[in-house]
Amino acid sequence: MSTETAIPIDAIEEWRLPDKGKLGMICLIIAESAIFSIFVVAYVFYMGKSLSGPTPAQVLRLPIFATVCLLSSSLTVHFAVTTLEKGKTGLSTLWLAATVLLGGIFLTNTGLEWHELIYHDGLTIRTNLFGTTFYSLVGLHASHVLVGLVMLCVALAFGITGKLESHHAHRLDALSYYWHFVDAVWVIVFTVVYVLGR
Amino acid sequence: MTPTAIAHAEQPAPPATKKLWLEIAHDWITTVDHKRIGIMYIVYALIFLVIAGCEALLMRIQLAVPNNHFLSPEVFNRMFTMHGTTMVFFVGMPILFGFGNYLVPLMIGARDMAFPRLNAFSFWISAFGGLLLYYSFIGGDGLYGMGTAPDVGWFAYAPLTAKLFSPGHNTDYWILGIFLSGIGSVGTALNLVVTTISMRCKGMTMSRLPLLAWLYLVTSGMVFIALGPLTAAQLMLLLDRFLGSHFFDVQAGGSAVLWMHFFWIFGHPEVYILVLPAFGFANEIIPVFSRKAIFGYPAMVAATVGIGFISLGVWAHHMFTVGMGPAGNTFFALSTMLVAVPTGIKIFNWLATIWGGKIHFATPMMFSAAFLFQFLIAGLTGVMLAVAPFDWQLGNSYFVVAHFHYVLVGAILVMIFAAFYYWYPKMTGRMLSETLGKWHFWLFFIGFHLTFDFMHVPGLLGMPRRIYTYEADRGWGGWNMIVSIGAIFQVAGILCFVWNMIRSYRKGEIAGPDPWDAWTLEWTTSSPPPAYNYAEEPVVHSRRPLWDIKHPNDPDSDYE
Amino acid sequence: MQETQTRSSSTERTKIVHLPEPTAWPMVLAFGITLCLAGMVTTFALTVLGLVLAVAATVGWFRCVLPHEKHEAVVAKYAVTATGLTTHPPPRQYDTLHRRVEPYQAFSFVAGIEGGLAGGAAMTVPATIFSLAAYHSLWYSVNLLAAGGFVSWTHASDAFLSRFHLEGLLAGAVIHLTISLLVGLLYAAMLPMFPRFPILTAGIMAPLLWTGLAYSVMNIVSPILNDRIDWLWFIPSQVAFGLVCGFVINLRERVRTEGFRALPFATRAGLHMSRTRTRRKGGDKK
Repeated sequence: MSTETAIPIDAIEEWRLPDKGKLGMICLIIAESAIFSIFVVAYVFYMGKSLSGPTPAQVLRLPIFATVCLLSSSLTVHFAVTTLEKGKTGLSTLWLAATVLLGGIFLTNTGLEWHELIYHDGLTIRTNLFGTTFYSLVGLHASHVLVGLVMLCVALAFGITGKLESHHAHRLDALSYYWHFVDAVWVIVFTVVYVLGR
Repeated sequence: MTPTAIAHAEQPAPPATKKLWLEIAHDWITTVDHKRIGIMYIVYALIFLVIAGCEALLMRIQLAVPNNHFLSPEVFNRMFTMHGTTMVFFVGMPILFGFGNYLVPLMIGARDMAFPRLNAFSFWISAFGGLLLYYSFIGGDGLYGMGTAPDVGWFAYAPLTAKLFSPGHNTDYWILGIFLSGIGSVGTALNLVVTTISMRCKGMTMSRLPLLAWLYLVTSGMVFIALGPLTAAQLMLLLDRFLGSHFFDVQAGGSAVLWMHFFWIFGHPEVYILVLPAFGFANEIIPVFSRKAIFGYPAMVAATVGIGFISLGVWAHHMFTVGMGPAGNTFFALSTMLVAVPTGIKIFNWLATIWGGKIHFATPMMFSAAFLFQFLIAGLTGVMLAVAPFDWQLGNSYFVVAHFHYVLVGAILVMIFAAFYYWYPKMTGRMLSETLGKWHFWLFFIGFHLTFDFMHVPGLLGMPRRIYTYEADRGWGGWNMIVSIGAIFQVAGILCFVWNMIRSYRKGEIAGPDPWDAWTLEWTTSSPPPAYNYAEEPVVHSRRPLWDIKHPNDPDSDYE
Repeated sequence: MQETQTRSSSTERTKIVHLPEPTAWPMVLAFGITLCLAGMVTTFALTVLGLVLAVAATVGWFRCVLPHEKHEAVVAKYAVTATGLTTHPPPRQYDTLHRRVEPYQAFSFVAGIEGGLAGGAAMTVPATIFSLAAYHSLWYSVNLLAAGGFVSWTHASDAFLSRFHLEGLLAGAVIHLTISLLVGLLYAAMLPMFPRFPILTAGIMAPLLWTGLAYSVMNIVSPILNDRIDWLWFIPSQVAFGLVCGFVINLRERVRTEGFRALPFATRAGLHMSRTRTRRKGGDKK
């Protein structure tokens, strides 16, 4: 056919573009980082400026166990993605379950910590600047963990019902980016709130 | 093959039957097509443009003569708050995102945006945010009882926004409305970035990307970084007002200056977010009407990225009068002046594009020429205000108001008009009337200069912004009268424009796919484009794919 | 996006294009979230309603995307063109001359420097004659030039300027050399642009032009020079510069520009010169 030959066969045979989902997630992460950095700046700015107690040194304890749980969940979600890419859906589901469990432990731990702070130490968001900045920063992070957990649960539900397939791997990968981001934010929050701020 | 082979017109399928009104509404509500969403964005922004324009008009009537009692002080406060908020969040951003939504996928040869459903969501949440904000006129309860719109100014400085000083919920309406529109803006920006990077057609390398797409890419990147601080600050304010936290509560050790920093970390890049797409329009329109390829494409891209970076580090020039100390003042004065460098590069590139070209003064080009000239003046007063001691004298005066309106109206709005005249044929298939366009241009041009040239003067004479009236012996009366008279001319111009849009939609000259003899991809498809944009995915070989098609013996790809 | 394709004729084609299916869920989700927040400033019931809507919309949205993205098929009718793009004949085409003409050959920088030096040297002759004739001094003109650079010389007398001053000679030489070199470079760049009567245009008209320019701005640049300069003598020295500089530059070989290198080999080798002149006109303007 004459028209067929008229279409120039270009040198650009291979035309590869970045994955939409992952790129979109990176954009979201940049936007979220901007929000977090403002809360971190506020926390640092108000460090030690509370007019009344309790102070961080009096009430905060290092959440080592929760931190270890959350950081290791980054590893498990990574394994969930790599195993799914290789087509081992069962194993991937198992890793996902582990991630959800570890994330759940972290969130429960935060809940217990807040309960202790509110009812035992009498620190609320109204008490002083420390309370204001602490609850908002940690709360913002916890809400992100919660959203991540919901998404992971959806993925897990697909896995349990057997609908998770290896061609979904790039979507799970995008979700894992978000989870890694939540973990990275925790590293900063932990450093600022529990190490430097105490 | 000869160009006569390109003779098969693409026939958009004729509608089978007349659709019912309800069906049309259903089509538009459920649509995920980037073109329809783009048009919805634009129409919604135009409605808000008229509303916010009326608010400005009310203020100008109030200020035209001294000791006026046309508006009460309370209403005046609501007017300037709503005018500023609406123009920035519900006119500027949506109209630019609307054009971006419509044009970027077409220009890069894509079928749709990367995330079509997110695109629809972003539009609707911005739209509902605007409606929620305006519901405050009916349902907001503030200091003065029911039906109180926000009255804290568009930058809502603390501690005026504290529960103590702004009782009721009208400030909350301001927070929530903008918060919702912020979600939409980030969603659309994300979509634009991913579309531009991941949806390009074959051969559309980053160095062949139309400059408009480049500008939208940088703008969207700035939206991520700039809107985060605003959202965060608004969350803090919300916590202060609803849960009694102390972020901006000075009596508990909080800081009012922190709000200023947070707001302007958003606020200044926001100006560039609004102006960069306007530059993008200029980058597309000026070459076509000068019959020359854009001068210095790589320099244009570099300057855009440069503006993006520098603009993130200039915010505190809004705060010279706060007292930041010599180090802060010096840093922000210098960084602000630095913006003039990449901006200057752009202006020279546009001039070099026009230079030696065969200029066609169609309406889009007339607006572009006005833009070049007005944006230059706006930039010059900007550099003046960047000098901290000068700013101490004139900060928060009408000189500042005149300066930023020169940017927002003289540069951005004028380029948006140019874009309407340029792309309306693509969106509707019909040309806008050139005669009415010329009337629009000249009326608006005269009105703009009457208003905003003369607005500098009362500022220099010491008139502060946001006062609802003034004494007769101040000597501001005559100047304000001229400013208000200019507003009438602008309204007349806008009426020409609105009438032009309505009339041309039914009676305008049929545009055809390429009425301007342009060079970018969107002009290769029919006007208006079919739902799928391009039946066959285009392949490009240069920055001006349509030039290559029209001049097969002399393609651009030989030279790039 | 998946596409299936059928052919009706050699140029007319139809094709099924799969587009994302329209859905109202994004709008419902946006409405739900708005109601959620609106409940904060009105009544709690709105928040509950908003929450229900948002959850329902999220589920509905997910079902649009997972496990497979829903599509609707649209029939596209189109024509294929020679270039592979579906397009129409452009109804308006403004361009007649496609690209700008730029010289294939130009002078090198070295030619400009040489010309500038030679022109500068030639310029001293009328200047010195003027100096000797009007003030009977060899040094008057160079001191006058240098006076622009020394604040203390602003009100110096003619007698003072007629004497020999080492700093005056040095400063005058530096100023003269710099300007001569810069103008020489400008000449090298400009000469190829004067295709006709180069002696008249570049040698005489151009010096007259910048004499006019100098006349209008001299008061700002060097007030002392402005007070005492004799414009009738100034013009011959400028023309001397223009003629000598242009002559020296023209002696040099021309070098080929990038525009020349972009030409096809046959043209560069001296064949087909006339054809390319009409069709492909030199380097493009980008």
